[in-house]
Amino acid sequence: MSQDSLTPAELLQQRNRRTGMTIFQISWMLVFVCLVIVNWQLRGNHPGWPPPGVSAPSALLPALVTLGLLASAWLARSATRGLAAGRQAVFRRQWRGALGLGALFILVMGYEWLSIPTSGIYSDVFRMMTAFHLLHALAIGLFMSMIARGVRAGRVSAQNLWPAEGATSLWYFVVIAWLLFFPVLYLI
Amino acid sequence: MATITATPGLGTRSAEGAAIRAADLLRWSLDHKIIGLQYMVSSLFFFIVGGTMAMLIRWELLTPALDLMADGTQYNALMTIHGSVMIFLWIIPMMAGFGNYLVPLMLGAKDMAFPWLNAFAFWLIPPAGVLMIGGWLVGPPEAGWTAYPPLSTLFSPDGQTMWAMSLHLLGVSSILGAINFVVTIRNMRPEGMTLWKMPLFVWAVLATAIIQVLATPFLTGGLTLLILDRTAGTSFFDPGSGGDVLLWQNVFWFYSHPAVYIMILPGFGMVSEVLSVHARKPVFGYRAIGLSSMSIALVGFTVWAHHMFTSLQPALRIPFMITSMIIAVPTGIKIFSWLGTIWGGKIRFTSAMLFALGFITLFVFGGIGGIFLAAVPIDIHLHDTYFVVGHFHFVLFGGSVFLIFSGIYHWFPKVTGRRMNERLGQLHFVTTYIGTFFTFVPQHIAGALGLPRRVAMYDPQFTNINTVISLAAFLLGISSLFFIYNILRSLSHGERVGGNPWRALTLEWATTSPPPPWNFRGDPVPFDDPYGYGSDESVAYLDAVERRFPAPEESDGA
Repeated sequence: MSQDSLTPAELLQQRNRRTGMTIFQISWMLVFVCLVIVNWQLRGNHPGWPPPGVSAPSALLPALVTLGLLASAWLARSATRGLAAGRQAVFRRQWRGALGLGALFILVMGYEWLSIPTSGIYSDVFRMMTAFHLLHALAIGLFMSMIARGVRAGRVSAQNLWPAEGATSLWYFVVIAWLLFFPVLYLI
Repeated sequence: MATITATPGLGTRSAEGAAIRAADLLRWSLDHKIIGLQYMVSSLFFFIVGGTMAMLIRWELLTPALDLMADGTQYNALMTIHGSVMIFLWIIPMMAGFGNYLVPLMLGAKDMAFPWLNAFAFWLIPPAGVLMIGGWLVGPPEAGWTAYPPLSTLFSPDGQTMWAMSLHLLGVSSILGAINFVVTIRNMRPEGMTLWKMPLFVWAVLATAIIQVLATPFLTGGLTLLILDRTAGTSFFDPGSGGDVLLWQNVFWFYSHPAVYIMILPGFGMVSEVLSVHARKPVFGYRAIGLSSMSIALVGFTVWAHHMFTSLQPALRIPFMITSMIIAVPTGIKIFSWLGTIWGGKIRFTSAMLFALGFITLFVFGGIGGIFLAAVPIDIHLHDTYFVVGHFHFVLFGGSVFLIFSGIYHWFPKVTGRRMNERLGQLHFVTTYIGTFFTFVPQHIAGALGLPRRVAMYDPQFTNINTVISLAAFLLGISSLFFIYNILRSLSHGERVGGNPWRALTLEWATTSPPPPWNFRGDPVPFDDPYGYGSDESVAYLDAVERRFPAPEESDGA
């Protein structure tokens, strides 16, 4: 929907929503930052990380689904732009792609979560961080699938774009939070 | 001009020309004024709950032996819930209540940016209160309001988990409320109101909201780990299994020291309004006060480890001592600015002004106590003694609570259309001031002499000083009854007032008392300088406001 066709009240509403979403993302991202700091403080108490006797999981599969997650964010962005331009078919195709890659990420990381041995501080930190991120990915992924239904039903459209725009912003959040966690959990 | 973003018709909204009714406070409402009052009334309820617990604590401490409690565990539980209720369910939500009621009015807006989110943030508080106090039913939390492991992980019953869940809800509520404030203040100011023309209360709320948005997530992270340690068998805080008890202290204080400013900064904004209005003088150093709020918000993030001087690596003590000393500078700027504001003013000793002046004296005393505790050598001696208890009660009661009282006396006429009784207000002030002084000054002395905090039984050499403290605390309890009675009486018998009984220049007074459902009829025009008292233009503006919103001629027995 063109900015020119918005009333002053609608323009203010749009500005408020975008500002509010940005502040929320910054604020909630700090919970993830907090958990990274927790990771650092705990690993600082040990001579090595993982502690002796614990083997680190392979980073290969998580790295691949991380690339998939990045691609899903690009697809979600492109889909929302398509919807804004009134191209619903483009939206449906790309949104489904984003959801599919998101679901793949959740499945693979769920498998990672299950396959880590369930004892010791390394396991506690790893499972806590991955679970915390997975819960966010799952909740926001479900929200995105509701948006897809909303578009089908005509509730979300170029004239009412905010739900799709907001969901895309939240999916960016999932991606950025994971980019914060991935190196801490697998690379450093 | 700012425009409302809510969908009209959803939820209860204040009725045209009528005060908000008690029943409105029990309903889901999107009206920021009703939500503000919901915060305030529920906070007052928790003030009474927490205050009653304080009375029980002081009763127990009248003598060195156990009198009221069956054992020390009961005392621990009482002290834990008292502290948690007073901080998280009284002071912080009360400040949010003032912000909710006043910020849109001061900005000339019709509501907050996100009315639904505003209501949602409030309605997280009642279940949080139930979880906090409901802990008594399953075994109350016993680890103090700071919940240090291993007390909070290994030695505290299930109520401690409920305590953590309660704080989780309150944290989310706090973040959502803060987002609303930042967006409202950033996007919904009227034309002509630049940042440098905003009322200082709005500046203070903005600084507070920034702290809430940036600090509260760390509490959320810490509480998540605490709940997992208690319920899922993890060992984040158990050194025996590779965890770290200091982890909690770092995360907790990274939130909780800034939380001190969450509890006081809105009050700093209120006192700037009250002093200027009741001294009939422009605020001295407007920009200095606004910027010092922001400085406090910023520096407040660099001082957390002064709570951990006794457990911190020695090399880190000096840097944190320096930052803790530095934060006294912006606070000192405010104090000097307030003194400059009242200097040479035509001071009206209203109840609001008395509490504002009382705050300055008590807060200076409390602040000086803070300098002692920021100094490593003295802190190591005073750590975990009653000096610490005296200090933080001085700044929270002598600071935040005095400011809340001042704010209520000042804005009660706007909210209800009636003035509170001044004689009762003066009685309230005198008893509260004496009670505060003689409760918390002797606590400093007892602490310096070695009385440890958080004990139900103590060395008999401290009997006399504890008796003085308890008697003064009971006076403080009685003084609060005067206040509650004054509120209840004034709701029906208070003198009726017009839109601007104090002849104040900020926008909330340029409408009826109480304000109409959407705050203003037409677009309000802010006076160019919200503190420009004494000029001919301000007199003309105030006369015009008085003519437009006069006091009712008929009084129903006030």
